[in-house]
Order: sequence, then C-alpha cells, then structure tokens
Amino acid sequence: MNRKLTVFASQLLAALVIFIAFLLIFENKLVVPLWLQPAGRMHPLLLHFPIVLLLVAVVLDLFRFSRSTANNAFYHSLQFYLFLSAALLCGVTVIMGLLLSREEGYEGEMLQWHKWTGALLFFIAAALFFIRNKAWYKRPFVISSGIVVVIVLILTGHYGATLTHGDNFVWQPLEAYKKTKQVPFDEAVVFADVIRPVLERKCTGCHNPDKLKGELLLTDSAGIMKGGKSGELFVSGSIETSLLLERIHMPLEEEKHMPPKGKIQLTDFEIELLTAWIGSQKTYFSEKVADLPETDTLRQLIAALLTTEADEERFDFPAASEKDIASLNTDYRTILSVAKGSPALSVNIYNREVYSSRQLEELNKIRRNIVALNVNKLPVTDDQLKTIRQFENLRDLNLNFTDISATGLQSLTALSHLRNLSLSGTKVGYAELEKLLPQFGSLQTLSVWSTLLTVKEMEDLQQKNQQLKIITGFVDDGADLLKLNPPQVRNKTLVFEETISPGLFHPVKGVEIRYTTDGSEPDSLNAELFEEGTVVNSNTFIKARAYKEGWISSDVVSFDFMKNTIRPDSAVLLNKLNHVHLAEGANTFFDTKLGAIGANNPAWANYFAGVRGVDMELVCFFNNPVTVQSYGIHYMVEETTGIYPPGVVEVWGGESQDKLKLIATLSPPLPEKGQLPFLKLSETSFKPTRVSCLKIIAKPYQLKERRFLLLIDEMFLN
Amino acid sequence: MEKEMLEHGFSWNRRRFLSAMSLGVGSVALGSLLMPDLFKNGGVTDENFVPGVPHFAPRAKRVIYLFQNGAPSQQELFDYKPKLREMTGEEIPSSVRGNQRLTGMTAYQASFPLVGSFVDFKQYGQSQAWISDLMPYTAKIVDELCIIKSMYTEAINHDPALTFLQTGAQVGNRPSMGAWLSYGLGNENKNLPNFTVLLSRGIGNGQGVYSKLWSNGFLDSVHQGVQFSKGEDPVLYLRDPEGMSRKDRREMLDKLAELNDLSYKEMGDPEIAAKVQQYEMAYRMQTAVPDVMDLSREPDDIVKLYGPDCLVPGTYAANCLLARKLSENGVRFVQLYHQGWDQHGNLPFEIQKQAKDVDQASAALVMDLKQRGLLDETLVIWGGEFGRTSYTQGRLTKDNYGRDHHPRCFTVWMAGGGIKPGIVYGETDEFGYNIASNPVHVHDFQATVLQQLGLDHEKLIYKHLGRRYRLTDVSGTVVKDIIA
Repeated sequence: MNRKLTVFASQLLAALVIFIAFLLIFENKLVVPLWLQPAGRMHPLLLHFPIVLLLVAVVLDLFRFSRSTANNAFYHSLQFYLFLSAALLCGVTVIMGLLLSREEGYEGEMLQWHKWTGALLFFIAAALFFIRNKAWYKRPFVISSGIVVVIVLILTGHYGATLTHGDNFVWQPLEAYKKTKQVPFDEAVVFADVIRPVLERKCTGCHNPDKLKGELLLTDSAGIMKGGKSGELFVSGSIETSLLLERIHMPLEEEKHMPPKGKIQLTDFEIELLTAWIGSQKTYFSEKVADLPETDTLRQLIAALLTTEADEERFDFPAASEKDIASLNTDYRTILSVAKGSPALSVNIYNREVYSSRQLEELNKIRRNIVALNVNKLPVTDDQLKTIRQFENLRDLNLNFTDISATGLQSLTALSHLRNLSLSGTKVGYAELEKLLPQFGSLQTLSVWSTLLTVKEMEDLQQKNQQLKIITGFVDDGADLLKLNPPQVRNKTLVFEETISPGLFHPVKGVEIRYTTDGSEPDSLNAELFEEGTVVNSNTFIKARAYKEGWISSDVVSFDFMKNTIRPDSAVLLNKLNHVHLAEGANTFFDTKLGAIGANNPAWANYFAGVRGVDMELVCFFNNPVTVQSYGIHYMVEETTGIYPPGVVEVWGGESQDKLKLIATLSPPLPEKGQLPFLKLSETSFKPTRVSCLKIIAKPYQLKERRFLLLIDEMFLN
Repeated sequence: MEKEMLEHGFSWNRRRFLSAMSLGVGSVALGSLLMPDLFKNGGVTDENFVPGVPHFAPRAKRVIYLFQNGAPSQQELFDYKPKLREMTGEEIPSSVRGNQRLTGMTAYQASFPLVGSFVDFKQYGQSQAWISDLMPYTAKIVDELCIIKSMYTEAINHDPALTFLQTGAQVGNRPSMGAWLSYGLGNENKNLPNFTVLLSRGIGNGQGVYSKLWSNGFLDSVHQGVQFSKGEDPVLYLRDPEGMSRKDRREMLDKLAELNDLSYKEMGDPEIAAKVQQYEMAYRMQTAVPDVMDLSREPDDIVKLYGPDCLVPGTYAANCLLARKLSENGVRFVQLYHQGWDQHGNLPFEIQKQAKDVDQASAALVMDLKQRGLLDETLVIWGGEFGRTSYTQGRLTKDNYGRDHHPRCFTVWMAGGGIKPGIVYGETDEFGYNIASNPVHVHDFQATVLQQLGLDHEKLIYKHLGRRYRLTDVSGTVVKDIIA
C-alpha cells in the first residue's frame, strides 16, 4: 500500500476526531443544507461496515500476542488497516448520523443516547488506532478495550435500532398487542385515568411495593389514604394542611422536597390537578369524571387535559399525492393542507360564473382527504350533494346560499364525521330537517339563519335535538327601531352654471325623501316628496329628511344649490393667505369645490382660503367684458374657535385694474355666541354693471384689537 | 524492514503533528460552513418552513381586525372604575402614577386630577361583563366576546404604538400582521388580495394612518395590504381603460408575461415573478371585486343589523359589512381603521359620536359571521393602540374633560376564532392606571393571534439581511387562558 496514502489516512483520522468534536459542541447550531441531506440519509447504510470491521479488528487483536502471529507481517499489516478503516468509516458514519439527526422526526432521549454512544465508539476506535502500537499496550489492555468496544457497539446499535424500528421491535411479535388509547372524557375515571398516571410518571418509581420509600405506597388508594412515615398525606377538602402538597411546594433545595432534586419534577398542570383532587370535599377514586359536578375545579381541569390532547385531531387516512393536489388547485378552487404534515385538506371553491359540477367531481381523487369544504354562494344543487357525500372524512361543510334543498341533505347523513354544517340562506324547511337531523350522528353545529324556518320552528328543532347547537341568527322583529341616516346627494358639486337637477337619494330601499326650499323644517305631512328629475335654475336651499315605515325619520340635512354663471378668466390675490389655509390660492374661489365642516374632512383642510391679519384682496380679470349684477360669498363660521364671517366685503369694478369704482358692499350677519359651526352664502345684488376687472376686498371681522379668522371657499358672480 | 517503516509512520514528529492539526483546523472550517449561526446565542430557526402551510391545525382561518385608531378611552367603554368617579378632581396618587413617562402634551401639566367616566356602566349577559351605556349593541353580544382589559404596550405616541401593534416593532420597516399571515397561510381565494385594508373616519380628533401600516416589509410584495377605498374605484387602477376589452387585456397580459418570463430567466429577480402574479390576480380581481363591493343586493335585515350607514360607502358600518363579505370570500386578513378616537379634550362629546359610529356595526359583524357559521373560523379583534389616562388632560370642568395617551393598560376584545367566548380577562387596579392581574403585552397578543391561525410565533420566521425576523421579535407568550 502506498505509504503516503497511509500517512494521509491516519492524519485524516486525527482531523476527523477534531471535526466531530467540533460538530458535537456546536451541534444545536448545525443547519444542514438540502444538498447534504442525502449524505445524512446514507447513515443507516454505511453503519454496518464499521460495526463488522471493528468487531473483526478487536477479535483478531486478541491473537496479536500468540506465537503464530507475533512475527507475521501480513497479520500486523492487516490489523493496521482494519483498525484504520474501521475508525475512519466509524467517523464518517458519525458525521452522517449527525447530519441525519438534524432532520425532522429525530428527537428524544433515544437519539441522545445513540448519538453519544456512537461518538464515544468513534473516539475509542480512533484512540485504539493511535495507541495500539505503544509498548505499554499489553494483553490486559487489549482484552479490556475489546470488551469496551463490544459493549459500546452493542449499546449504540441497540439505541439506533430502537430509533428506526421502535421500542421493543424484536420482542414485539411475542407480546400481546396492547392498545394504549386516550380515554374519552365521558369514560374517564378520576383515579385510574387521571391521578394514577401522574403518580406513575413522577412518584411511584420510589413509592411502590418494592421500594416503599418513607413507608409510603402511592400505587393504590389504600396506600394513598394511609400515608407514610411522616403521617397522613391529606384530608379531603383541606389544601392548606396537606403534607403531600407541602412537600411538592417546598423549595427544590430542601431535602424533603418531592420529587427529589434530580428527578423529573411535577409540571404546574400536574400540581394543579393534584391540588384540585385533594381540594375536593370528597376524595374521588373510582368515580367517573363526567359524574362530578359541572363547577368542580377538578372536572374542569380534567376536561381541559382530555380535550386539549384530543384537540389536535389525528387523521388516520393516507396523504393524497402532491401531484394530484397541485393539479386540482386552480384559480377558482383552492386546496390547502390543514397543517404541516397532516393528510387533511380543506377545499374552497369560488366564483359563481365559472362554477360547474365538475369542480366537485374532480375532487374524487382526493375525496378521502377533504375535511372541510366551502361552496358558499355557488349554485350547488341537491344532485351535487351526492358527490359531496363521497368525501367521507368531511368535518366542516359550508353550503350557505347554495341552491340545495332539504331533500338533498339526505345523502349527507352518510357523512359520519360531519360536525359543522352551514345551511344559512338555503331553501331548507322544517318538516324535512326535523326528520333528517337525528340521522346526523356526529353533527355539532348547524346554522339555519335566513332559511324557510321560522323562529318558532328553529326553537322547536333545538328542543328536539339537544346534542346539536342550532345557530339561528338575526331576525328583524321590528322591536329595534333604528333612525334612518339623512338623504344624500349625487351631484359632484352643488355649484351650477345655468340649471341643475338636484340628485337627492337614499341608500336604503323604499325610503321617501321630503324637502322644503323655504328654510322651514320638512315634515312628513306638508313637505314636498322629492322626485328625480326636478330641475332648478336659481339658488335653491333644500332641507330634506328621509322617511320609511318601521324606521325613525332621519335628521334634517341641507343642500345649498348655488348658481354661478360668470367666471373670471384669471385672478390674483394681492395679500398673502394664512399659511395653513392656502387652498388653491387665487384659483380657490371659482373652482366649484365647496368646503366642509370638521377638521378631519379633507374638504375642510383643502378648500378654504383664509386670512386673519390682512384683508383678502382678490382681483379678477375678464378677457371680454361681462355684465355683473350680483355677488355672493360662501364662508365658514365656527364661533367657538373664532372663525367668523367677513366684517365687510367691498366689490369694486371697472374697465381695468386702475379704473375701479365701488359697486357694492356687503356686511354679513354675525353669529351668536356659542352657535354651532355652519357654512353660509351671503349675497348682494346691484345695478347691472359692465366690467373687465373686478376687485373684491373681504375684511376679516375685527373686535377691538382682536382679528378673527376668515375662511372662504367659493364666490359667485351672476 | 516493513515493520520499521510502519512504526516510523507512527512516531509522530512536530511536522506530522502540525500537518494533522492543519487538517483538523481545515475540517473545523469546513464544519463551520454548516453552522450559519455559529456565533449567535440561542434562538430557534425553522429552515423547513413552507409558506402557506400552518404549523398545526388552526382554530381560525381568517382575521378581521377592527382597529380603533387614536386609542379609545377604556374608562368610558369597558373598564368600569367607580372609584374614579368618587375621586374626581383629586390628584392621582404618585404611588399609582409611578415613573410613567408622559407625552409632551401633559408633561408640563401642574396637576393630574382624576376624572370618572361621565357615562354609566351596567353588567350584561352570562359573563356579567361591565359595558358602558355608550355601547348598547356591544352589550348585547358580551357572551360572544373575550374582553381583555389588561393589554399594555411600550409606545406612548400614536405612530409608534400603531406600528408596534401592527408590525411588532415601533419603527416602520417590518411586515404588518396581515402580511405575516398572508405569508404564513397563503391565499384561500386567489381572486382577491389576501390582506385588505378599509379606512373610515369619525368626527372625533383624528390621527393619521399610513400605508406603512399595511406594508409587506421585507416579505414578498404579494403580501402587501391592498386598500379598498370608497367610491367607483375601490381598488385604484383596476378598471380597464376605456376601449379596452377583456379579450385585449388577456392578450396583453399573456404577451407581457412572456416578456417578463424572459427577463426573469435573465435576471432571476423574484420580484419579476411576483409582478406577473399580481397582474394575473388583478385580472381576476376585475370580476371578483365588483361582486364583493356591491352592497345593493344585501337584504333588508342585514341593513337593519348593521344600521343604515352600512349602505353609505366609506363609513365604518359599510366597512364592517364589506369586511364580512371579503372574509366570507376567503380574504385572510381584513384590516379596518376607524379614525377619530384621540380624545385629548372634549371627550364626552366626541366619544359619544365615535361609539355610535362603531357600536352597532361591530356587534353586527360578529353576529353576522355567527349566523353564517363562520364565527368559529374567523377571529374578530376590536381595539386601539393604547389606553387613555385616568386623570384629565387640560381643564376639568363639570361636564368636560380629556384624557391623554396611556400605554400601561387598555382594553381590546376578541370574538370567534377559537377564543373563549363570554369571558373578561385581566384586571386593572381601581384607578384604571396599572394592571392588577394577567397582563397581556402586545407581543403576547400577537403570539396568540398567530397561534389561533395555526402558526407558532417562534417559528414564523423570515430571514432578511442576515437576521431572522418574527412578528413577535424576540418575546411574546401565547395567552393560553383565553383559548377555548
């Protein structure tokens, strides 16, 4: 054999020792990339080689001191290579094992044992290789190391086999098949199914008939009631005096703390269980949990224990093929795995337009895997329920607003796992349901809102099917009188040029809108009924209100339709606007965008131009002379915060900016103290005047030294 | 000779030792390649997470989060504190206030007089929960609700607190809760966005909401929240331009997909693939969205249930009704924001209006889901970003006061989705200032929401820029006591 190669191999072994030690130290940070996973999976294949090689090597090593082999070069050479290859292969196997252990599904004590014995085996094998030619490595060493190797080898192999084949794989066929099953809540017996398992897990290791530590026996009721060396464990109903609980609650360092330090401790839940058990007025042993009073803490705890474990439902059917699932998953049919690693699927189908019965039929391939199906609002018919009936593991079925009827439901009674059925909005009637419901053995909830059933019939069904929760839903019995919301207006703006058709409407069907235009409050008797198509051609201030039978009439709402026939071709402001009320500058006033009240409304923030310290001076220019005979200004008033109408407005007009005459002045009325905020139009008419330029000076209201804020959104020229 | 040679091979000199060691060091270097987190402390990683598949069987499939933006005052709605009424006008004991930091708005306030609620409370339902008279409809459904009075947060101002609740961090660069769920659970309905956002506004003092609150952060942009607005175009730019037929659109998309595919092959940028997906979804949304948004076919008793405002687009009631329709159609996370709950002053007036905006429709949503058999699989959450102080902000008058931001306790409720119905969880002290029992941190709340959806908050991880991120960052415990 090539010497270089041999030296390299022995160096490699040294490297492997370091490498494996490193992997073991930082094992929990190890992340195995996908491409390396196959290497890990070769572990069960490769491991047989080092087993055999090591066994052969240690057995043959026993002969090294016999006369016949002492000087046999071939024997020594063979042994050298046997140990070297066994140790090397052992190392590689350990690495692969470590890689494999990072994959899912390998955990627990058994894995730890296997890992550490395996690693130990490798270190021993490597050490043997390096020390076996030392002068002091004599016969006793050879024999003892051989025995150690064999023992560790057997242990490693045993743990590894348990890991892959399960506990007691070899003897299993000889033992009677014992079924350990979660006890259902209804059948559970307090001591045998709940308390004893706790004691068995944590206590009876020492307090059993064989060991009887502290003269205490915890395996049966007599022993428990008798107590031990230190006295009685507890008196029923008295938590405070219980010796058992005292020992449990002692600090861990105390010698008398139970279970002793170093043993597996009771969990909080187990302590709670024992406390509740002791706290009951009578100590329950052979009683059934279900017979305990509803309010009993112990019963509630056990209920939590037995249901949370049963909660994560285990499905015993095989998973569907990924290819099938992928091919059935379409834009309108979603198939989702219920949870990672679960064979159960939930299916949702959408879109009435593209739905056909094939969408259900195609699911036949995965019919066993479907546990939830949602066909809400699809035109599913009674006939198609026969397809659904094939989905034998279905738990939740949503048939809301489908076209099924109660007769079709007959086929669903075959679904023995069906728990939740939603039939809201379907045409199911009382007579059929009454007959069918007892046939749904496992059904837990049924929703029947908005079906043909009356409230009375729903109550009746509930009465007859106590095991079932029938969801009835909201029925308008007219008892809750609601107030209508006010009418709304469809027009994009209330500012118009020549005529406008007020587009009043109300979103609730069958509402009457009554309105006035004279400023009076509309009522249901005198006010005019609003009809589509009404046209107005001058400023119209509508007050409207909505009415409907069975509702409280709405608040009054006002819509001010305002006419503006003349718009300037350009405009300029001579003074600066308040920096938070810039709006669109000089273009604010004729853009038909009306402001609104309420600081949260964008129309409040964006459509008002405002001044406080200076007059608002707007100069408007007209390319062709226009005849003006009225001027209007629309502003906001919020008395409490000091937003006021203008003190005075002057309208100047003329041929050009330097030839202006005062045409009109306007002094709007002041608000009352504390008056609620409002929007208002103030107008003034004057002798028709032909102008090419207009100047409007609006002066903020001023009281002594205080100048109020003036906010204007629109102006009107007619 | 052979034997001597062999033995020579074993007598290790320094050179051989060093060369073997160098191999060893090399092997360690090799091994370190398998340990991306060699120098990191602890932590759990889940490299095997498959987006779209829950960790375990979920209790809830969808979430509707009725966010009350601006922080509703718990003292006026859910957290009944008669003691505050008795002590109105008296200074809050400093032992109660402790070293709580204050906002810039009350930090310089000379005194902190307590103020009791102007509104009365009564007990309702089997759970006998206290609900104020401002919430008559909510009062009727208390037996469906799990009212958590002991929520607390770390932030004291709106934006960080809101961002914290939505994304798990106070700075806005992380994915929102809806984006995480979209990532973790995948689409139920491929014709609608998985995460949608609806905004409404009350007349009370408002605080902004920003699109960063429904951001996908570092997750794929398909998980971003899509805002549905009121009016003719609920989803902007979804409608085909005039003159373009649906067939033309299809052809255009097919051609575009070919081109995108070419550049995807060239660049390998996953955003290109995401873009193609989004185009396709938009195409399908063109038919799905108008159908969902159409409220005109809702029957009269639904209008009665939600109140007439549910037919006025852009109102909270309309958004609740839409939320039900979206959720019913498989949208995983519907996020509502109702603005206007920031009552620093003028509280009695404003909160009445705010409560009236949301009370009936919130309760209606819960009942509507229930009557469709959907409440079991839909988790409804109602609440703001923090609470409000038990002392007044600004001047305390006979019938007017305000309350400042308060992170130490606030109330949210949850309904459906496998949460215990008809319970009140956690208590505050008699001043309504500190938590007396069962505190629920924002991260605990988030962990619980994820738990109900079948996701382990410690395993829903996304690696970005070398760090692994979670919605609950590095903390959070599932509140098992409220899980049914």
